[in-house]
Amino acid sequence: MDPSEVEFLAEKEMVKIIPNFSLDKIYLIGGDLGPFNPGLPVDVPVWLALNLKQRQKCRIVPPAWMDVEKLEEMRELERKEDTFSPVPSPYYMELTKVLLNHASDNIPKADEIRTLVKDIWDTRIAKLRLSADSFISQLEAHAKLDNLTLMEINTIRAFLLDSLNCMYKLRSNLQPGSSKKQFTDY
Amino acid sequence: MDTQSYLPVEPGVGMEENFLSLDDILLSHERLPIRTECRFPRLGYLERSTDAQDIPEGTKMELPLWLSKGLYEKKRRVLSVELPKVYREGWRTVFNADPNVVDLHKMGPYYYGLGSQMLHFDSPENPEIAQTLLQTFVGRFRRNMDSSQNAYNEDTSALVERLDSTCTLK
Repeated sequence: MDPSEVEFLAEKEMVKIIPNFSLDKIYLIGGDLGPFNPGLPVDVPVWLALNLKQRQKCRIVPPAWMDVEKLEEMRELERKEDTFSPVPSPYYMELTKVLLNHASDNIPKADEIRTLVKDIWDTRIAKLRLSADSFISQLEAHAKLDNLTLMEINTIRAFLLDSLNCMYKLRSNLQPGSSKKQFTDY
Repeated sequence: MDTQSYLPVEPGVGMEENFLSLDDILLSHERLPIRTECRFPRLGYLERSTDAQDIPEGTKMELPLWLSKGLYEKKRRVLSVELPKVYREGWRTVFNADPNVVDLHKMGPYYYGLGSQMLHFDSPENPEIAQTLLQTFVGRFRRNMDSSQNAYNEDTSALVERLDSTCTLK
């Protein structure tokens, strides 16, 4: 899975915007998007919010978790715990990148938020790598990790699966006599 | 997302080889030191060091893996295979000590694959060879993972050179 696919999935999340135009309720396959009145906040998916923002038809309201104090607490919690702590949003990384790239004028202290989210990401990825390393070096059979987001899983998926494949092949060498000839048809 | 009109066949699992896998075909070209147990009449041209018409019993020569596997028999009537240097006791202790420093590409680019195939030849050291292969892979895993997931801002060819071909695919 590409990171761009994960970003595409992230754009389904809802975010609050304040439009500067008016429009009746629109009926889409995925659901209805409420009537747009200038100055009144309305919930829309991120893909629509970005599109409207680029056409300068709205102002994006940062989500509740995108706040310096909250992110600092989250970062400290992440650093203290050995396991993964619950995330502010299952797509926190993508939303941060996308909202800060397109709507940084609507988000206060954008740079600090960027730094904080990156710190949280780095800590989580380091824990993930440590966990994968101990999984492989102790040749364990299964592991359980809570609170991982799709983007983090995506970074490690390809490599871990290939390595486990190689290890399976090497481990099957250790069992002599279990290798019967199997002829597969291509 | 790429569409391919050709789906590559992957190398075989463990001691098996996939007939159609390109990696396995290239792997089986590696030469192994062997000792003939019977005479090979009129095949003297295979052994370039002497000009004899046929190959006498007890000659030490090198044959590729595909030929050795085909001619090998348990009762050893035709040839007996010696382990290449990298799979012997000396190198095994090096691998057990620290797998990360070894230049696997220099050892023959198919360290893991060839090692798995060597287990066909019923050497008494087979369990140790299998164990060393696994431990080397596990030991090198960490560094391979770090290198593959972070883009270095410098020339990485020095790192890549030291990898076995299994790892360069990742």
